[in-house]
Formats: sequence, C-alpha cells, structure tokens
Amino acid sequence: MSGTKFVYVTYIRSDMQKVFDALRLPEFTRRYWMGTTQQVSEWKKGAAWAIHVPDGRKFDDGEILEIDPPRKLVLAWRHLNNPALTAEGFSRLTYELEPQGSLVKLTLTHQIDVENSKLIEAVSGGWPGVMAGLKTLLETGVPIDEFTKWPVGV
Amino acid sequence: MSQYIYVTYIRSTQQKVWDALTKPEFQKTYWFGMHQETDWKPGASWKLMFSDGRVADAGEVVEIDPPRRLVLKWRNEFRPELTAEGYSRCTMELEAEGDLVKLSVTHAIERENSKLIQAVSGGWPRILSSLQSYLETGRAHGDTRSTAEVKK
Repeated sequence: MSGTKFVYVTYIRSDMQKVFDALRLPEFTRRYWMGTTQQVSEWKKGAAWAIHVPDGRKFDDGEILEIDPPRKLVLAWRHLNNPALTAEGFSRLTYELEPQGSLVKLTLTHQIDVENSKLIEAVSGGWPGVMAGLKTLLETGVPIDEFTKWPVGV
Repeated sequence: MSQYIYVTYIRSTQQKVWDALTKPEFQKTYWFGMHQETDWKPGASWKLMFSDGRVADAGEVVEIDPPRRLVLKWRNEFRPELTAEGYSRCTMELEAEGDLVKLSVTHAIERENSKLIQAVSGGWPRILSSLQSYLETGRAHGDTRSTAEVKK
C-alpha cells in the first residue's frame, strides 16, 4: 500500500444522529474542537467545505466526497496554515458510524497518497483530543474547558 | 516490529486513572469483567484473568512508576497462534494536562505483521473508551443501567 494513514476508533454512549451532527455542526464543534466551525453551503456531495478557527481564518478546506447520514461522511481535506502541509495536497477523511447496543462505534480514517506524510503525522497528534472531547461532551453534556478554546499563537 | 498506539484524554486525576488501570475492583467494571493478578513490583509475575478464572494473558511487570508509567511484558495465553508469537511489550503512560489526563497505550512486538498486535488493536479502543466513560460518568460501557438508576 502506498501513502500514509491514521485510524482512530472510539465508542460513544449516544445515538447515531447525535454523533453525526456533533461531527459537523457549529453548536457542537465549538464546544469540543478548539472553538472551530465547519462551513458548507449545503451538506451534500460536491459541496465545498472548510474549517474556520475562531478568529475567522480558514484553516483547512476541501469538499464533501460522500455523505450518507447518519452512517458515513467522506471529505477531501487540505490543510492551509502550514505551507509544507498544504503542499501535500488533498487528503481523505472518512467517518464511519455503526450502532452497537447503547453505543455508537465511530471509526475515523485520515489518509493521503503521500509516503511519510507530514499532514498525517500532524493530524495523528490532534485527532485523539478531538475524539476524546467529542465523547466527553456527548456523554456528560459538559465540554472539556481546554478543548473549547483555540490555542494561543496558532 | 509491529506496534499499536492509542491515546485518549480523560477528565480525571492521574491517581484515579492509575487506580482504575491497576485495581481489580475498578478494572472489572469496564474491562470485559477482567482483572489483573500481580503484586505490582518490577519483576513480579503478571496475569490478566477472564471473569471465569482462565488466564487470558501473562507476563511480568517490567517497570512501574505510579501514577505515571507502567510497562508490562505480555503474552497471549488463550489463542495458540498468538501465544506462539511470544512476548510483546505494553506501555501505559499518564500525563496530567490541566483538568485532564492524557493516557497513551503503546503495545509493540519485535515481529512483522503480528497477529497479536492486530488483535489488541481491536480491543484497546473498546477498553479505553469504556474506561473514559467509567471515570467521567460513573458508568462503564457494559453497564446497561439508565443514568437515573446510577444517580440513586
């Protein structure tokens, strides 16, 4: 296999629709994903997609490659804030949700057709915090304070 | 070498996460009913027991620094093809970050395409997600009580 891939699995005591919404919609993402929001014209295949940080800068962009609510979402994803990472071009992010009893199994796969990708190395450090913050918010209703704010100087 | 790494952040203290990882009465609630038998000293033998008393995995405590770091020598004992791979090494590291604990589990073996590492890659996300729920909400994943029942 060529390319670089990061896979993360978590189980969240919630329902499919809630997890699917929490991955995308600003009222959720602001409270666990470092204050960021995702902007799209419409949640449908082919629509442009971007992540905005709280000061308004666009941090990542791409488009919706596939959407099958509340089971699957695939995004083309390019990072914009670090030229070395932007130069790697578009990666592919896949979220897959499966109900398992009172839990939702959430599998995140972030991959790119670049060997030893710096982008994938960077996101590998970020995803565990985002996923843990999502789980905490949905299960307790109380966000993790550190995960509600954009880090100073980034 | 084959290696699996899982990192999570738990709203708790290092001591509580450490106790949940090492004390049978806590571990049984979120880890498929399993518990460990060891006296938690370097060189001590270590066993992970199924709830029915069979040994699932065995090895020894390589390094222990409560509540920060635990290294185990770990061999599967219930699937012959995994037992045949010999000993792996499991490292658990806890770091305090604000009101969170960053927990990193690294499970590695000196072997390419290890079936043991493939097997534990499926288990760790379940165990550590359940641990996070247990510490943050009081209910592990196997616990089917309603939130109202737990709060009584």
